[in-house]
Amino acid sequence: MRYLAVFMAQLKIRYIYLKRYYFDTISMIVTMFIIFLLIFYGSMALMGGTPADMGETLEGIVVGFMVWSFALVAYGTLSWGMIEEAQQGTLEQLYMSPLGFGWVTISRVAAHFIINVFTVFIVLLLMMATTGKWLNLDILSLIPLVLLTIAGVYGIGFFMGGLALVFKRVQSALQILQFVLVIFIAAPFGWSPFMRFLPLSLGTRLIGQVMIGEQTLLQLPPGDVLFLVGNSAVYFGLGFLTFKFFENIARDRGLLGHY
Amino acid sequence: METVLRVKDLTKRYPRRRDKPVMAVDHVSFSVDKNEVVGLLGPNGAGKTTTIKCIAGLIKATSGEIWLNGVEAQRQPKKAMERVAALLEGNRNIYWRLTPRENLEFFAGIQGHQVRKVKAYIDELIELFDLKDKEKTSARMLSRGMQQKLALACALIRQTEILLLDEPTLGLDVETSYELRNVLKEMAARGERTILLSSHDMHVVQDICERVIVINNGRVVVDDRVANLMKLFQVSAYRFELEGHLVKELEMKLKERFPLLALSSTDHRTYIDADLVEGSELYEVLDILKAGNIQVKSIGHKEPNLEEIFLAIVKGELK
Ligand SMILES: Nc1ncnc2c1ncn2[C@@H]1O[C@H](COP(=O)(O)OP(=O)(O)O)[C@@H](O)[C@H]1O
Ligand SMILES: [Mg+2]
Repeated sequence: MRYLAVFMAQLKIRYIYLKRYYFDTISMIVTMFIIFLLIFYGSMALMGGTPADMGETLEGIVVGFMVWSFALVAYGTLSWGMIEEAQQGTLEQLYMSPLGFGWVTISRVAAHFIINVFTVFIVLLLMMATTGKWLNLDILSLIPLVLLTIAGVYGIGFFMGGLALVFKRVQSALQILQFVLVIFIAAPFGWSPFMRFLPLSLGTRLIGQVMIGEQTLLQLPPGDVLFLVGNSAVYFGLGFLTFKFFENIARDRGLLGHY
Repeated sequence: METVLRVKDLTKRYPRRRDKPVMAVDHVSFSVDKNEVVGLLGPNGAGKTTTIKCIAGLIKATSGEIWLNGVEAQRQPKKAMERVAALLEGNRNIYWRLTPRENLEFFAGIQGHQVRKVKAYIDELIELFDLKDKEKTSARMLSRGMQQKLALACALIRQTEILLLDEPTLGLDVETSYELRNVLKEMAARGERTILLSSHDMHVVQDICERVIVINNGRVVVDDRVANLMKLFQVSAYRFELEGHLVKELEMKLKERFPLLALSSTDHRTYIDADLVEGSELYEVLDILKAGNIQVKSIGHKEPNLEEIFLAIVKGELK
């Protein structure tokens, strides 16, 4: 019950921000959509053709874009989010929760994810309407798959958040990594057998198999799904552990409240 | 009396990257009883914030024990956090984009309280802190004093037994500082919470607390009731100008009673310099002089300077 109270508090604050700052929400969706249009018409101009000619590539772009939207929020919640809380002097208040900072953070991440599902859904609808390619939206397969895919990104977010607590000026590194995420998603999976060891890469491919290939989660190759679970668990685990490590340093040096 | 907060040999040495460590808190020990309001007084850099943040689990102590109502905070941090809330120095402590009520609900939730169950208390706090008119205003738009009151309310809504307040009036203008002090006084008078309040300002501590712990350079210098400490502040420097000279007998009598008193004389005058408690001790000196038939030409009096006395305590000159 007490754990639920923490989660509800985080969800409510997200909902309030979404509503009160609806202009920000709308501009975020519009920005996403505009970036998509640039990529879309850009690649059409490069390849020379109509949406129909581009087939798989185009669908791939839509899927990649969706994963990227989720990944950005997952990454930002922990990295930029941690910096924001430290700057505004609320981080220490969150630390003093008797349910633990871990749970407070997980609740925050979950709340962000839930809100994110709705905004990404809108962007997705816009993208599909523009391209005329209606993809398979099997929610029951997609939600767990998306979560599994971005779990690794949460790990990276934790790592960067921890780094930010101790070293403070990491903004540019945060920005660079944000674009590295795009590479993980957009690089062709067939490039090298090592691609599957990267975060996001294998997950994006599996999500594509659901959305484009119209498969369900259970129809996907079990080996791939298991590999994804392992991949995400490793990135998430390492990220979380390093975060704990940095948090300890920050507590020792008295840096939690400073920014 | 039941002790709810006990700090034993708390020591904090901050490691620094290219420098030698800073000894911020050095074997500090004290305890606070249930519903007691204790001031932690000391100049800037004395170690107040470090002590408070160690108790709140935000800074890892180098050594020592922190007991919060039977729970050792470093061994059971989550359990400890059920018992303590803190208003931290210089921080906003609240979300600027949320209204007072939303802030209160959020921090109640973070503490694990269901909003439904704390609604009545939130209403009460909004009333108590005069936030009623501003209930729907973003915290960012509130005055600095209002924000600080809200931050205090957000610490209270956690409903912990112990409340840590680090320089709660710092940075407020005279009027809002006064207002916040009144709220704190009222809270203290209700006797519902155990409060440890830090300040570098004697007046704030004197106003709100029953007991004071003075720290300097990370060490406890004085731990006494505020009333006792205030006695030190009532001491004034006096200079008596007397006609003629004192006989040996009278001189002995004075020195016996006031060993620190200083005598000096010119051809026709004698001067006595002494630090005396206003009222009682002054009359005692006068009585002795009267009994010796000495004529007092004048009495000079220097007001006690709070800062001076505070510095004297800190430097270990007094007591
Ligand atoms: N994060 C930190 N790293 C290194 N030294 C610090 C840190 N915080 C405080 N100090 C030092 O520790 C001492 C005590 O500081 P502090 O606890 O903030 O005192 P106060 O709150 O009484 O002003 C000071 O000398 C201060 O410079
Ligand atoms: Mg301080």
